[in-house]
Parts: sequence; structure tokens; C-alpha cells
Amino acid sequence: MPQIFLDGQPFEARTEQTVLQVALDHGIFIPRLCWHPQLSVAGNCRICVVQVEGRSWVEIACNMPVSEGLRVLTDSPLVREHRKAIMQFITLNHPVDCGICDKAGECTLQDYHVAFNGEASISREPKVQATKFYRLSERITLDNERCILCTRCVRFTREVSKSNALGVKHRGDHSLIRPAEGDDVRPLDDDAYSENVVDICPVGALLSTRFLYKDRVWYLKATPSVCPGCARGCSIDVWHRKPEWALRALDARHNTAIARVTPRDNPDVNGPWICNKGRDLALLLERRRADAPMCKGRAVALDEALAAARELIGRARHPVALVSSWGSDEELAAFGDALGGRFHCFVKDDHLPADGEVVEDALLIRADKNPNGRTARARFGDQAVCFAPDTDLVLVWGEGCDFGRLPRGVPVIFLNAFLAPENGHAEVFFPTSVHTERDGHFTNADGVRSAFSRCFDRPAGVVDAEQVFRALAAAAVAEGVTR
Amino acid sequence: MSKVVASLMPEFERLRQRFPEGFDSSMTLPCLRRVQEVRGHVADEDIRALVDWLGVPRIQFEEVLSYYTQFRRQPVGQVRLEICRNVSCSMRGAERLLGHVCRRLGVSEGGTTGDGRFTVTTAECLGSCGTAPVMVVDDEYHENMDIDKADRLIDQMSRAEGGRGG
Amino acid sequence: MAELRARDAKILMTFPVTATSHLLAEARARGAYGALEKALRTMTPQQVAKEVTASGLQGRGGAAFPTGRKWAVIQYDDGQPHYLCANADEGEPGTFKDRWILENSPHQLVESMLIAAYALQVRHAFVYMRGEFSAPFRRLQGALDEAYAAGLIGENILGTGFSCDIMIYRGAGSYVCGEASALISSIEGKRGYPRNRPPRLTVKGLYQRPTVVNNVETLSNIAWIVQHGAEAFKAVGTPKCPGTRLISISGHVARPGVYEIEVGYPWRRLIYDDCGGMLHGAALKCVIPGGISTKVLTGAEIETLNLDPAEVEPAGSSMGSGGMVAIAEGTCMVRLLQVMLRFYHHESCGQCTPCREGMGWLHRLIDRIVAGQGRLEDLDMMARISKLQDGNTICGMGDAAGYATLGILAKYRHEFEYWIREGRSMYEGNLECRRSS
Repeated sequence: MPQIFLDGQPFEARTEQTVLQVALDHGIFIPRLCWHPQLSVAGNCRICVVQVEGRSWVEIACNMPVSEGLRVLTDSPLVREHRKAIMQFITLNHPVDCGICDKAGECTLQDYHVAFNGEASISREPKVQATKFYRLSERITLDNERCILCTRCVRFTREVSKSNALGVKHRGDHSLIRPAEGDDVRPLDDDAYSENVVDICPVGALLSTRFLYKDRVWYLKATPSVCPGCARGCSIDVWHRKPEWALRALDARHNTAIARVTPRDNPDVNGPWICNKGRDLALLLERRRADAPMCKGRAVALDEALAAARELIGRARHPVALVSSWGSDEELAAFGDALGGRFHCFVKDDHLPADGEVVEDALLIRADKNPNGRTARARFGDQAVCFAPDTDLVLVWGEGCDFGRLPRGVPVIFLNAFLAPENGHAEVFFPTSVHTERDGHFTNADGVRSAFSRCFDRPAGVVDAEQVFRALAAAAVAEGVTR
Repeated sequence: MSKVVASLMPEFERLRQRFPEGFDSSMTLPCLRRVQEVRGHVADEDIRALVDWLGVPRIQFEEVLSYYTQFRRQPVGQVRLEICRNVSCSMRGAERLLGHVCRRLGVSEGGTTGDGRFTVTTAECLGSCGTAPVMVVDDEYHENMDIDKADRLIDQMSRAEGGRGG
Repeated sequence: MAELRARDAKILMTFPVTATSHLLAEARARGAYGALEKALRTMTPQQVAKEVTASGLQGRGGAAFPTGRKWAVIQYDDGQPHYLCANADEGEPGTFKDRWILENSPHQLVESMLIAAYALQVRHAFVYMRGEFSAPFRRLQGALDEAYAAGLIGENILGTGFSCDIMIYRGAGSYVCGEASALISSIEGKRGYPRNRPPRLTVKGLYQRPTVVNNVETLSNIAWIVQHGAEAFKAVGTPKCPGTRLISISGHVARPGVYEIEVGYPWRRLIYDDCGGMLHGAALKCVIPGGISTKVLTGAEIETLNLDPAEVEPAGSSMGSGGMVAIAEGTCMVRLLQVMLRFYHHESCGQCTPCREGMGWLHRLIDRIVAGQGRLEDLDMMARISKLQDGNTICGMGDAAGYATLGILAKYRHEFEYWIREGRSMYEGNLECRRSS
């Protein structure tokens, strides 16, 4: 274990590390643009320069191997002078679009400019112009003028997603990030992880087309959550309007909408990546919601629906429950405690892979498109759904049930978050919350338990499934018929 | 498959065997050069055929084609005239030579004559400084050029038939 | 090609060039492949490497790195392939001496490469030749074909059990591919992007294998060194820089061309005797000694200098790649620098920030001065840009434009100031050597 000195302080390093890695491990700040912990070293931005004590020049830290006794200065006058020069080169042809650039507020270049340069351009030459609003793919817009050619995006598509979708064309200051082009070739559209390049781009060159111009990041807060798109359960940040910045003049739905979804670094699950389906969570979670309890399609007060449900449960001799694999650990426990003894339970797959959706791959995506199947099956078993001929009540919790396959004439209690025709066909219907409206946990297929936090209030009329289960528990016990 | 690539395939296979194990990626430059020698430029279908055969990512071909100055994605004139205008050639009259050739043919730098016969481009140092100025005609060096020699060359080439197929 | 003006016993230019002097039969008559036989039959690879180290041979591509020291990094019997690449990219403006070897003495290169391959345990060697060199390509390929036919390359050379293949890999137009790591990227079939070190190429080079990249002229000395011995090589030139240098000289001299000189050769003699002095008897204004990134030296400064690094370096310049350009009085140095900066801008690969942005910056700046819209502070800005690129780039090209700029500004700042003040050149923007009226 070689010992090196950073700014005079000793630190233990591992032989395979670079000076930059040792510095980051110990909270010593060295700026970097092209370096990324999950990508190969490019060493092209040159901003991470440091000075080896005794030398009159600077060198990049991201490619400097450690050696016993190495003494490095990370913030000497020489380092500062060169950092400033590097920043002047990097921003030489930068369009300074900050006023209209989505990245403002979370832009590394802005931060470094203020920290290491802090003055206007010293150049008198007109800036090199390049393509703006280049449609890199359906999801990603590229602004070549803002691009600093750090090549993080290129390396991502070569080393992580392996789509080989991006490259650098031409050369010198005419270099442009471009996708593989040509008649029917769209490798970036086919890359299920493409939007990660938007996160890792240190400037506002690569932007999410859907998020373009939607909001300023300083009006948004990021709430930690878990992606329910598959059993990987990637850690995510759900971005939404800060309550203190609630919009008054526009549609109130702006304040309760998911502005965007980004990965939350989790070394145990997804590292710093998520797949594009996770980015599209709003499409899943913001479908039209059911917002009123119903009895046979007639909107009723919650108490009336609960009473009707209790009565059905009390009377039933052979009730069957189809348990949601989207239920949280807490909801599943509550269901089990409240009704597990009363109902014959089967776990269903609320979601199956859709047409054209990646089923499974070597990176993150899992075939099971439900976030909590493991917990559900651990509790309720993994038998395939089957209805005995004497089934006299079915409780369906969550999506994915084909109502046409339920035994005819048997009453149904249905819990669902979304508007669907089946809601009205059930004897009793409860409109339930989605996971962004409460706190809880999912446990992924590998057994890693992750917490999600509440982003929004439940819409009016919506109830937590947990609350419904506890309210119905009395019915299960009261009639004294237990299994 | 692109007819040009198909016709060159036996040659490409032999070349592939001559490289050591694991050098398939190295095939890009030589294959592109040969395709261009036959077709006059590199077409989209040539790239597709080479990608399919070699398994090298398409983006690598596209990067290489755009990075190196000798590769062309579009057809040019039948006769290519390249005039070096780097240090030694400029010191021996390259700028006057270039000006004359452009005026004579009625094109600007990089342009092609209306009849599609000549394309005139500039080049950086070609390693012919001792015999400057140099003009490259279809990849062959014509050294110790002057305006008279250039005129005679152009006269000769204007009369000649053929040239590269498009 | 200019008529040969070789003086004194030489290592490379040892014969008059004719229409057939490059062919195998004539090369053999001059002793070609004798050294190869000696090496393969009587020496071990380690002994060959030792001889090269003892000779003191230094790289002739511009960096003058001791060849034996570069080779010494290669580990014998490490269980992985080693590669040897001859750098025939020769793109440095004013440099055309490797071309002489490729066209006129290709067998000297081939034989030397085989000996080097033997010394370095190389099975596959490459000659990376710039794509524009059509005639040199044909000559070298012809030499390789002859050598294969004669059993001098390929499997089991001369029945000694040593096998080696040499392939020519042709570039496609990129000056930076003359840089060793960019050359390797190009042979890998990719863009010619240089690489950061570490790792050194002799540790991880072509396809991450140990690779030696040597200039064509450097390698071409190997056969002679093995044939005549390290001591004989050291007896030529100077103790610190043994051997000869091929100098390609162009510009305003009467007889431009390639000349082989012993290190220590008087500069005056080269220009005024061998090259026949300046065109039209013009006065010598200045000289670019060895590639356009070497600092210009005035005619007065070189009057008493010999072509020896030990003298050129204290004078503030370098012998570099041996690409010498002689500039006559009446040449506008502002326009000359403009040509150079346009070149660097065109050739920047674009990978690292200081070069990518800085080259364009310098070029646009000098274009503005030439267009008559310069300001005096522009000169300090050019110097500043040059200093800030220095040492901050992935490869040596990033420093080069700055060196050229600083060198010319140091000696001819007044021409720039004149243009800025008057809006025009002191010499009508002239680059040619005009006949005085």
C-alpha cells in the first residue's frame, strides 16, 4: 500500500490507483470533466492538473499512477494558473447559453468557471459555430456548440451500454459528437440506456428532449425513490416542483407532476445508471387516476365502500386474493396480517414485458417487470393463479388481472390506482395511491431492500391500500371464519 | 452486398490473413482505401458491407472516414489536382500556382469544374519540399511545378479520355 | 529529386542514385543483408540490442531519444507478442529525408527492420507510411516483394529459424499520425488520436502489446551498426551524437535536397557549398533548423555554428527532424507564421482542449493581423496562448505551434508591429525569393 502526500498530508493508496482516485477517496477536491469513475481514462479536458512537488510543470491527476512517497500539490499557485488557462481554453468557443440552457444550475462548467476562472473571455476572435438542436435520437437533443468533447458519452456507449452508437467525427475544432448514421441505422434509438449520457454530460450539450425547457432545476427537488419498472429496483431521484416554488398561475398539475427521473448512485444495485424505462416513469405513474371509491360503478363515500367490502368478506367461504407484485413491503405485510389468513392468496405479475420492450439484459434490465415480486412470493408463495370451483369472492389488488378469466358471477373487490373500465364492474372498488405518494420499501430480486420517499400528496379521494387492508381486517376476524 | 466490396473481397480476405491474430479492426483503413480506388469515393453501401463482414462497429468506419483527409464520401471530378501550400512550397511559388490553376479552370479552392473533369484542392506538406512546388495529380506527385508546366498538364488531361469511374 | 551532393563516407547515402540502384541485386552488391546474416547466425537478440545501445544511436524523428534505451524496456520471453513499427509518416513541413531512404535505399530499411525485429523478439513488423507517398510506397513494396522472393523475410529466414513479416500500413492524411501513439491508433484502424502516458508504448502499445516505434532513418542505421560495430559508428559524428544526420533542406537555396552530414558539419558549408548558396545570390535572412516547431535562427546566428546539437541547443534551437528551411531576405515572417499556424490548426486531432481550441485561436488571430485588423496586444496574446499550451497537451503537437510562434516573435516582432501599425506587410506579404532588380 504506497503512501502518497497530497498537499503535505499523508494518505494510504492502493497500487492500482491514480492520484485523482486517492484524492476523491479522501475528500480532497480535484476538478474533472472528462474523468468518470465508471469509464476509461480519456485525459483530454486537462482540468485535473496537479503539481508534483519540486517540478516546475503540471500534469493530469487522472492518469498519474501512485508511487511510494509521491508528493503532489493540488492547489498550488502553478496549479491555479494552469487551471485558469485550461478553463479559458475550454470556454473559448463556448456559446454561454446559460440563460436558455437547461443545464444551468447543475452545470459543472458553470461551477468551474466561477471557481477557477471567474472572468470574461480574453479572446477577441469570433467563436466557432456548430450545430444546435441536433436530434441525436428521439430522446436526446445535442448542442455541439456547448459540447467540450470530453467524450464521456462516446465512452459510455462503447464501454457500458455497448451500443457503439456515438463517436467523434471530423477533427480539430471542427470535431463533432455524432451517432453512427446512414440510411436505416439508429443505434442510439435502440440503446436502452441512452439517456444516461444526459446525466454524465458535464455541460448542456446533451439534453433530454422531453425535459427541454420544462423547468429550471433550482425550482425542483429530488426525492429518493425506487424505479418500479422491473425487479432490479434501481435507485432513482424523482424530481418535482419544490413546494415553496409551487406555480400559482398555471395548471396545478405542474406542481404534482414528475418533472424528470435521474439515477441515484447505488453501488449495490444500479451504480450510477438507469435504463430509459425508468426515465419514462411519468408515463407509467401519471396515467389517468381513479379518484373515487365505487360500488358497482356508483361513486360512494369511503365508509360505504368499506362496509360493503366487509360484508362480502364476512359472507365468503372460499375467498381468493390476487396480490399485487407492485405492493410495497409495508403494504404486503399489512395485507398478510389483515387478510392473509382469510384469503387463499396468489401473487400476480401486475406487468408483463410490453411489445418491443427489452426483456432482460446483462446490465440492469430484468425480465420480471414488477418491483416487489420477491417479497410478495416470499410471503404468499409462487403458485400459479387458479380458482377452485367453489371460489365465492375474488379480491384483486393492482393491475394485470384479466377480468375475463375470473370465475363468472363471483363478486370482485378491486383495488387499483388507475382509471380502467374494470373499476366500474367490481362489486366494490377502492382507488389506491402509487408509490410516489407514500413512504415505503421495495426489495429487489437480489434481496436488496431500498427505501422510497413520498414526493406528492395523494390526490383527493385516493386511499392507501394499507389503510384499506387494516380497515377490512376486522371483517376477516369478526366473522370468526379463519383458514 | 456492395458490388465494389464484393469484387474486392478475395483481396480483403488475403489481407486479413496476413495480419496477426486479433487485428480485424486494422482492416478499416486499407479496405476503405481500396474501395475508394475502385469507386472514386466510399458509398454508404460499402460501409454497410464492410461492417457486416468485419464486425467492426459502424461508428468506427464513420469516424475514420471523417478524420483522415484522403477519404471521400462524395464523388469528385475525374481528375484530382492537389496543390501543397505549406512553408517550402509557398516559398517557391505555390500560391501563384494555385491562383493560376483556379483561374484557368474557373473554380475556387475545393471546387470542381462544371464538366466534372477537374477538382482542385489544397494540401498541407507532402514531403516534396526539395522539389517545390508540388502538385499531386490523381495521387501522383508532379514536382518542380510552375505555371507553364501546370498549363501543359491540364491541356494534356483535358484531351485525355476517361478518368475514374463515378 | 535533386541531384545527390553527398560528401564524405556515409552510412546511408553511400551510392549514386540511378534508375535501378534501389533494386535488390544492386543493394546486395553494396553489401545489403550481410548484416542480417551476421546477426542471425552469430549474435543473440540481446547481443544485437547491446550493440545498438553501445553505438549511442539516437532517434532521428525529432526527439533524439537514445534508441537502445527505448528498446531496453522490452522484456524478453514475456509470453506476449512484441511489435515494431517504422515511422514513415514524415509529415513535418520541410522534412523529406525518410522519403529518400524509402525510394532509393529501401533494402537498407528492410534489412535494418529485420535485425531490429530479431533483437526485440518481434514476429510482425509494420511500416506506417503516410497515405500520400505513392511512389515511395511502390518502391518499398517492391523491395519487400523482392526480399520475400529471396527468402530474406517471412518464415525461417535464411534457414535460421527466425521468422518475421513486414507489412506496410498506409495512412490516409493526418500529420499527427507521425506521433508514435497516434501512429499506433491508426494501425489499429481508428482515428489517429495520440494517447496519454503512462503506459509507455514499449509496455502497452499496439493492441496493448509492447511496441517499439522508430523513425525510418533511425532504423536504417541498424544494419550498418551491426555490420561495422558500435565503435565504428561512434567514430562518426561527435561523442554525444554519433553517426550522421540526413538533412532535408529546402526553401530559398539554389540546390534544395537531402544531404547526409556528420554531426558537427559546418552550417555555412551546407548552405553555401553543398546547396549552392541562396537563390539569385540573395542574403540569408534566417533558417528553420529542423522542422517548423524549432526556433528560427538568423543568418548571422548560424554563421559560425556547426550542425551539432551541442551548438544548436545553446543557440536556442534544435536540430529536430532535420527538416531545414532557408529563408532569404525579403520574406515576410508574418505570412510565414500564418502558413504554419494554418497548418497546425488543420492538423490538430481535436482530442485535448489546449490544442483543439488554441490552434484555432492562434490561426484566427494571425489571420486578423494579416487582414489589417491586428492590435498590438495581439502579440502578447499569441505569446500567452503559446505558453499556456506548453506542457498541457496529450502530445507534442500541442507545444509545437507555440514554439514556432514564440521563436518567430522573438526575432521578428518588429514585422508584426509594423503590420499592425501600418495595416500591411513590410515585404508586401512576399514568401518567395525575388530576383533583385
